[in-house]
Amino acid sequence: MISSCSRCLRGVRQNDHNHGDTEAHRDCTEKRKYVTALLFILFAGLAIGCAISMVAQHNPLYSAISLIGVFISLACLYVTLAAPFIAAVQVIVYAGAIMVLVVFVIMLLNVEEEERRPLRLRYLVPIGIGLAAILFAEAVFIIFFVQNSVNTPTTNISDIGLTSSIGAGLFTRYLLPFEITSLLLLMAIVGAMTLARRGGLLPSDAGVVPGDQMFSKELLDRRDVGDLSTVVTHSTAEAARLLGVERSHDDAQ
Amino acid sequence: MDDLVHAAWLLVGILVAFTVVMTMVAYTVLAERRVLGFIQGRLGPNRVGPGGFLQPLADLIKFIFKEDIVPDKSTRFVYFLAPVIATTAALMTIVVYPFGPEVHLPLINKSIQLVITRFDVALLYVLGITSVGVYGVALAGWSSNNKYSLMGGLRSSAQMISYELALGLALIGVILQSGTLDLYGIVEQQAGHIGITGWNIIWAQPLGFLVYLIAAIAETNRVPFDLPEAETELVAGFHTEYSAMKFALFFLAEYVNMFTVSMLATTLFLGGWNGPFVHEVPWLGVFYFLGKVILFLFLYIWLRGTLPRFRFDQLMSFGWKYLVPAAIINIVLTATLQWAGAFDYLSKFLKSQSGWFG
Repeated sequence: MISSCSRCLRGVRQNDHNHGDTEAHRDCTEKRKYVTALLFILFAGLAIGCAISMVAQHNPLYSAISLIGVFISLACLYVTLAAPFIAAVQVIVYAGAIMVLVVFVIMLLNVEEEERRPLRLRYLVPIGIGLAAILFAEAVFIIFFVQNSVNTPTTNISDIGLTSSIGAGLFTRYLLPFEITSLLLLMAIVGAMTLARRGGLLPSDAGVVPGDQMFSKELLDRRDVGDLSTVVTHSTAEAARLLGVERSHDDAQ
Repeated sequence: MDDLVHAAWLLVGILVAFTVVMTMVAYTVLAERRVLGFIQGRLGPNRVGPGGFLQPLADLIKFIFKEDIVPDKSTRFVYFLAPVIATTAALMTIVVYPFGPEVHLPLINKSIQLVITRFDVALLYVLGITSVGVYGVALAGWSSNNKYSLMGGLRSSAQMISYELALGLALIGVILQSGTLDLYGIVEQQAGHIGITGWNIIWAQPLGFLVYLIAAIAETNRVPFDLPEAETELVAGFHTEYSAMKFALFFLAEYVNMFTVSMLATTLFLGGWNGPFVHEVPWLGVFYFLGKVILFLFLYIWLRGTLPRFRFDQLMSFGWKYLVPAAIINIVLTATLQWAGAFDYLSKFLKSQSGWFG
């Protein structure tokens, strides 16, 4: 049975229990190091390139596409780090769901290319550069001093990043943070619903798409803000009649 | 050296699977036209080759030699990128499906599993790649600079994110039950019982299967959920401005998507390559697997010949108000039954009754 050796990410026979200790494993980890480095350079370069392109593009849709590129490159980096679950979730959640919504909104609003306006917050540029320098310095510090320290956690690498270990961790040790996060997301959803209903005033000539749908008084008449009593109707005229809203002379035409 | 052999095996596997899938996709198109013809009381294409057998080849040649028209005001780069994304995303999932059990290759005396690659998160990989496929349609609609295309693109992105949710939730029941995301492992678990009763659809996930089936049809933009390319309202929807080979790529992506969701349904719910006498003759598994896939493809075509199209608000309310709650109920039910040990009891019972299906 062929599966992948979690230590060196290659196909090995599952009944070959000795693989981890043998000469063959050491040999293949050596080779693996170069391949991993090569892949890292490739995907890290791609991620950085896409990130720069995202900021530099004038067209918002091109920025969105670049951001998708960043997310996918990051997912590939996770795979090289032997964390396939995180990689898959990265693609599903960020590239597959959130960015689709972003692209959807950009398309819906039909945003044109932004014009270049003179930079108003000019003083923020040096601050930004300073912060970037600090971040870079931190990364260098971690690479050269922290990772070479004796306390690098290397225990049982083969479990980390696999689905079962992440699931077990989420539902035992990190249960409280997990639940708090889900509550936060629920709050965001409920908040979005509330805001959409309160602020969702349509122009008074807005029509009902043929078919049964809920229509509130607030939507028909701007003066009745906050009146959310609804009726189920087939057409705008019917909604107006049922709600007792007088339609102005303009609408009648 | 070992690495090279491994890579070569992967390459051979990909080539074989690709060829098989592409051939079957080409003939699905022909089958669709013939079956639709039969349903609608006409003949369908039957002139090229015996019984229209060479029609896919003729279609291919025609697509290649057609004039490739690019709209003047289109956004060039995205316009070219969109069909590439659609086709690549559709084809990338083939590598994780188990086509058959472990078989013995007589010439080189080697036993292999008929799956290109196995990894820990195969099912999530499929969902991830599928979700990226939306961009092909959405970007095609946007970049064509055409109102019909844009409408098609918008509809498809709204539809696909809505139904992706139901699709993903419907699969959780299977995952809960099998405890793994590895597709080969899921198929092997369904083999643990006698014949047809081992399949997930029969005794474990009927509701999940129903939700998956409906959501999968919506995901692939097929009738009755084909609003992104509703020809009576949107000319051709998101691919209105595409011609020649670029159009063919979208066409291909749609049929490959049909094929892959059918393969996933077969793998997760219909027991994959399991069937009578598979243990004695492992190669039979391939035929069982492809046969079940063909069953699904026929269902697709049958639906297309039978059902009218949804209206957009019906589509949305159906997805969010019925499918998603049904999928959540399925998860709660499965989790409760699993916790109560009902599945274990049932499987023991079925094993004790092993006179039914060989």
